[in-house]
Amino acid sequence: RTVALEDWSLTPLNEEAKLGARRLARCLQKLGFKVRFSAFRVVNVLAVCSMPFAVHLVDFTKNNRPIASYEPELHPAATYRIKNLKATVQVFSTGSLTVTGPNVQSVASAVEYVYPLLYECQKPRCK
Amino acid sequence: MASTSRGESLALPKVQCPNHPEALLVEDYRAGDMICPECGLVVGDRVIDVGSEWRTFSNEKALKDPSRVGDAQNPLLNGGDLTTMISRGTGAASFDEFGNSKYQNRRTMSSSDRAMLNAFKEISTMADRINLPRNIVDRTNNLFKQVYEQKSLKGRANDAIASACLYIACRQEGVPRTFKEICAVSRISKKEIGRCFKLILKALETSVDLITTGDFMSRFCSNLGLPKQVQMAATFIARKAVELDLVPGRSPISVAAAAIYMASQASAEKKTQKEIGDIAGVADVTIRQSYRLIYPRAAELFPPDFKFDTPVDKLPQL
Repeated sequence: RTVALEDWSLTPLNEEAKLGARRLARCLQKLGFKVRFSAFRVVNVLAVCSMPFAVHLVDFTKNNRPIASYEPELHPAATYRIKNLKATVQVFSTGSLTVTGPNVQSVASAVEYVYPLLYECQKPRCK
Repeated sequence: MASTSRGESLALPKVQCPNHPEALLVEDYRAGDMICPECGLVVGDRVIDVGSEWRTFSNEKALKDPSRVGDAQNPLLNGGDLTTMISRGTGAASFDEFGNSKYQNRRTMSSSDRAMLNAFKEISTMADRINLPRNIVDRTNNLFKQVYEQKSLKGRANDAIASACLYIACRQEGVPRTFKEICAVSRISKKEIGRCFKLILKALETSVDLITTGDFMSRFCSNLGLPKQVQMAATFIARKAVELDLVPGRSPISVAAAAIYMASQASAEKKTQKEIGDIAGVADVTIRQSYRLIYPRAAELFPPDFKFDTPVDKLPQL
């Protein structure tokens, strides 16, 4: 059982992802491992997205107290975990986001979910 | 103490006055008697006296308080154990022929709480190293007890949980310590403490306030030996810098360190970046980076009544 990390700079379609996995399996085969391609499954989707504005993390965390967590000593981003979508959004002060989720749909809805909250805490605004 | 006999029948053998069976007996615990109020007959005697065995005077503070038996109880934290331990013998009779002591090992007491007691000792040691007051240690112990009873973090090293509890307690009391400071007194890595910290917050469903630059100013400045003026200036600079958002995305510790550097360079007590980095646990280059960000607006950042030893334009530029 292999877990493959694939880097997609295009919109990921399931077939392309599967092709990529097949290519990876071929590489492994050439290395000499016994490979059998079965039960291809997308487990985790990571997306990077950027807001056109910078975000004030302290205010963002204060407004969304238990769900958002910001620990500047540990990680420069504030993490926002959406329970019902099972997605995690990491917000950086520059306005870029990193979204992780089980599938593409949840990632997209997570971005839409968190956008209004970020919009409130824009840099020039809520300082 | 024996209960006063009542009119209703109890399972306990009743004492009652032979002349006045309905009378409620009065206890005289000083003499150890039960007396009938009607006729004054002493009905029961040699009742156990609960007064103290010897008199203790409050003004003399002897090393041991003779009216207490055993150590002060800590019922909140322990399981309220009343076990007895065998301590090391003192007289000659406690040693057998080889010179080894008889009854060597103390009997294990409350093995379920043994790990917890160990952790309390560890917490106390760690707190002692950084001179934390009693209230923080008590809070840490409480947090640890809650986490321990919940058992959700059972797999983690107790020391890691203890260190994370110490960190949280400092935060909750309003005097946060940086992770690096906690690391310095603990054997656990910063990463592990951070992980345990997040897990504990989730397990106890609490959250903590965010750290600000001002929380650390007094400690860092005292450790560097900077006068009050410089400390106040550094606090002002750091706060202003965060308000004006000159340092987005920088850890408050780094900003604080850079502010201290700027304030100290402008005063008579100049400190090098290396010294400040040493105290704050921030890398040399990080201070330099943050300093570069606040340098352009240095003039506005200083408090209005600050006395400059080195004027603003002569501040070192890195």
